[in-house]
Amino acid sequence: MSDKQLQIRDATLPGSVLAEPVTDAGGVVLLPAGLTLTEAHLDSLRRRGIENLCVLLAVDPEELARRREKARLRIMHLFRHTADDPGSQALLHAILAFREEQTK
Amino acid sequence: MTPPSLAEMIGRIQGLPVMPAVALEVLDSMAGADTDVKSLARRITQDQAIAARVLRVANSPFYGLQMRVSTIHDAIVVLGFSAVRSLVLAAAIVTSLPAGRCPGFSQDRFWRHVLGTAVAAQALAQPLKRPAEPLFIAGLLHDIGRLVMVALYPEHYTAVIDLAREQDSCLRDAEAAIFGFDHAAVGAALARGWNFPADIVDALAWHHAPEHGTPGGLAAIIHYADAISQALDLEETENSQMPRLHQEAIDGLGLDWQKLTKVLADTQARFDSYRLMLG
Repeated sequence: MSDKQLQIRDATLPGSVLAEPVTDAGGVVLLPAGLTLTEAHLDSLRRRGIENLCVLLAVDPEELARRREKARLRIMHLFRHTADDPGSQALLHAILAFREEQTK
Repeated sequence: MTPPSLAEMIGRIQGLPVMPAVALEVLDSMAGADTDVKSLARRITQDQAIAARVLRVANSPFYGLQMRVSTIHDAIVVLGFSAVRSLVLAAAIVTSLPAGRCPGFSQDRFWRHVLGTAVAAQALAQPLKRPAEPLFIAGLLHDIGRLVMVALYPEHYTAVIDLAREQDSCLRDAEAAIFGFDHAAVGAALARGWNFPADIVDALAWHHAPEHGTPGGLAAIIHYADAISQALDLEETENSQMPRLHQEAIDGLGLDWQKLTKVLADTQARFDSYRLMLG
């Protein structure tokens, strides 16, 4: 996932997930990060004069699968001489899972 | 091109740039010497290059400070003396130990690996219930012998790098083939000469062969931290490869899946912050 700054009038906003909390000029949090935006939220923000929002950008599933495979191949390259060693097993599997989680 | 003996190499170490006084003072204070916190803070502040690097990391998102800290004194107040002391040591070493000219050797990649190992060792401290500082120092210094080899014998070391590439072997094996000894032996000899604490000497000497280290000492932990740094690819070197891991040493640490996963995430987060020191 990556972030994208969008204008409050952007038609794709409803249903998007906030990447950062929305705060007013005084720094008070109006909406928390992680919230899925509805029309009602957006109306309320417009009334308060909020102009831009930072939302999570949905990544194409195929692109994600490509990134995951690239990360996996890189790990297997690093472990090219040691992937079968008993001492390497825990770290190899933990790092594979860690990268998998990162590319979700 | 006859390679030097280990004794010859150690004999030439006096010709290398010395460890900065601040770094030695920090090491002494870590070893339990009676150090005045205020005077050490003052000394650190006088070295602008070191202080600037420390503040860059202290102000990174990792520490989540509400306000920017702009002086070493403030950093100590907010982060604590021990955290700042580790940062200072890292900054002092990174700033002051140049590798000289050795074709094929990247100083930047070297420091990335070293910082990665130091923060991995720091991340391992919590689940292993060990004090973080000695582990951080041992991680920071674990490959210092390599830097000595590169600085004193750049031509020989270029041969090491070429051999490792040709044979797709690790640098350590290529060092042994060209010099007859590896960076761990040089690092341990250097650390003894500089009167480093015994547990640090032990870690430097045996981080690739933890079965020979003092049981329950730091060597096994640095052995794993080194590998964690490589597995996370913090060095970003195309042809790097994982070191061989000693199963008994790894099992002896008793890290379960959950703890190991947390160590990986923690290491990555710490590294993202510490790498600011290199820029």
